[in-house]
Amino acid sequence: MIILENLTKILGGKAILNGLDLQIETGETLVLLGRSGTGKSVTLRHIVGLMTPDGGRVEVLGKEISGHSEEELKYVRSKVGYLFQDGALLNWLTVEENVALPLKEFGKTPTSEINDRVQEVLKEVELDFHADKFPSEISGGMRKRAGLARALISRPEIVLHDEPTSGLDPISSSIINRLVNRLKSSGITQVLVTHDMHSAFEVADRIALLHEGKIRSLGTVEEIRNSADEAVQQFLDGKIKGPLTQGAIDGVCDSEENGNEAT
Amino acid sequence: MTGWIQALGGFLGRSAETTGYGLVLLARTILSLPHLFSRRRLRDCLDLCFTYCLGSFTVTAVVALFTGMILALNGGDSLASLGQENLIGRIVAISMIREMGPFMTALILTASLGSGIAAEIGTMRVSEEIDALRIMSISPIRFLVLPRLVALTLITPVMTIFAGFIGILGASIVAANNFGVTWIAFSNDALENLSTGDVYIGLIKSVVFGITIATVGATQGLLTKGGATGVGEAARRAVVITFLLVIIQGYYLSWVYLS
Ligand SMILES: Nc1ncnc2c1ncn2[C@@H]1O[C@H](COP(=O)(O)OP(=O)(O)OP(=O)(O)O)[C@@H](O)[C@H]1O
Ligand SMILES: [Mg+2]
Repeated sequence: MIILENLTKILGGKAILNGLDLQIETGETLVLLGRSGTGKSVTLRHIVGLMTPDGGRVEVLGKEISGHSEEELKYVRSKVGYLFQDGALLNWLTVEENVALPLKEFGKTPTSEINDRVQEVLKEVELDFHADKFPSEISGGMRKRAGLARALISRPEIVLHDEPTSGLDPISSSIINRLVNRLKSSGITQVLVTHDMHSAFEVADRIALLHEGKIRSLGTVEEIRNSADEAVQQFLDGKIKGPLTQGAIDGVCDSEENGNEAT
Repeated sequence: MTGWIQALGGFLGRSAETTGYGLVLLARTILSLPHLFSRRRLRDCLDLCFTYCLGSFTVTAVVALFTGMILALNGGDSLASLGQENLIGRIVAISMIREMGPFMTALILTASLGSGIAAEIGTMRVSEEIDALRIMSISPIRFLVLPRLVALTLITPVMTIFAGFIGILGASIVAANNFGVTWIAFSNDALENLSTGDVYIGLIKSVVFGITIATVGATQGLLTKGGATGVGEAARRAVVITFLLVIIQGYYLSWVYLS
């Protein structure tokens, strides 16, 4: 279980997260939606202690993690897989070596076992034919899938996905969605940040909409689909005018109506 | 006026912060030295030594050769007017071994390897690879900084000795061709006047320089912010800061040695 309570984070003089409350149940797949720059990645980073909150608390698997040292975070991190927005593979290692890295570095698993496990996860993300290529030799979508394979190699209890399907062709997206659903049925807790509504509806147990540093709406797929919240409807329909763009940073809609007030 | 003072204050504040970060990084890397003795880290370190040597070999050789030739040409010219050209050997040998060799090698390695370390680690920072390491509980200090620091600390003295030899070789060619000093006379004069102290101070300098190059490069890399331009900026800063530190450290080490 993941508990984010009254989470506040100030970055660049601005409260990116501003009293965010969110609870993710064990075995649940929660999709986190929100406009670009609202702090979705920042929220994920708090769950693994890559960022420390300025206020509030973070609890993961029954352990309080806010403000702990790298050493103390080891336990929680060993149970979490994290898929970064761009894969974050080391470019001097091959796909295979990248995926094997978490197991090899600690030298507890015998090599033959590591090799079997690497083949297994690479097959799951359908990259087994590209195992010996370097990250610079494969496409962005493949790098992302390799990043996912690395996140899964040590059999995590929680997987955090930062935009797993962005920039992927529809078929690769479906491969990822199917994999997320498979992880879900094996009882893994997942938080998935995405802009891809199709994929959100396909994998989510619940959907949360992040806006102005707080969870604006939270509900099951059906609840969100039929939500009376204008913000949710605006996001789902991709409308330019609505609560999500009021006083928006780019001021696209305001400038049309009120002259150039927003700029 | 106040804007100017504010900018200066900001600059000093940032410099103090970076210096602190660099010193802590160095201390933590030294504390993690026992982790070097695992098969994977040793292999990483040897690989780096090899790549570093290979990458800086040619430029070091060329620069050292010409530095030695320039020293001999200028020294010889002045000495010849006093009829003392037989003293070229000692002048070149002492300045090459004690000062120019370590200094020049450090500058070359800063430009080629220090900037490379900053860019490499900086790229990893902005593409979230460092964060990925932290999540896998792989310490970036052990995994990235330690092998680079050790490799540079080993490589710099080796390259310095190499540069010294090549420089003296270049000087002896000029001495023989331009001033008629035979190879035997040149090397006798050089060896008789070169003390073991000169060799030691040259080596001590090169070790300090090697540590500085790696630490500054890694510090700038780890502190990189803001995409590809940030990486370029980190590399540039690593070079400028290391140049300054090397020349200041060089002066004080010579001063301590001579007094
Ligand atoms: N390390 C940082 N320092 C300063 N500001 C930051 C930092 N990290 C993120 N921010 C800012 O926080 C805001 C939220 O960033 P975040 O990456 O969480 O957005 P996001 O919701 O994931 O957007 P996207 O969908 O584009 O990935 C942005 O305005 C960003 O500029
Ligand atoms: Mg993001």
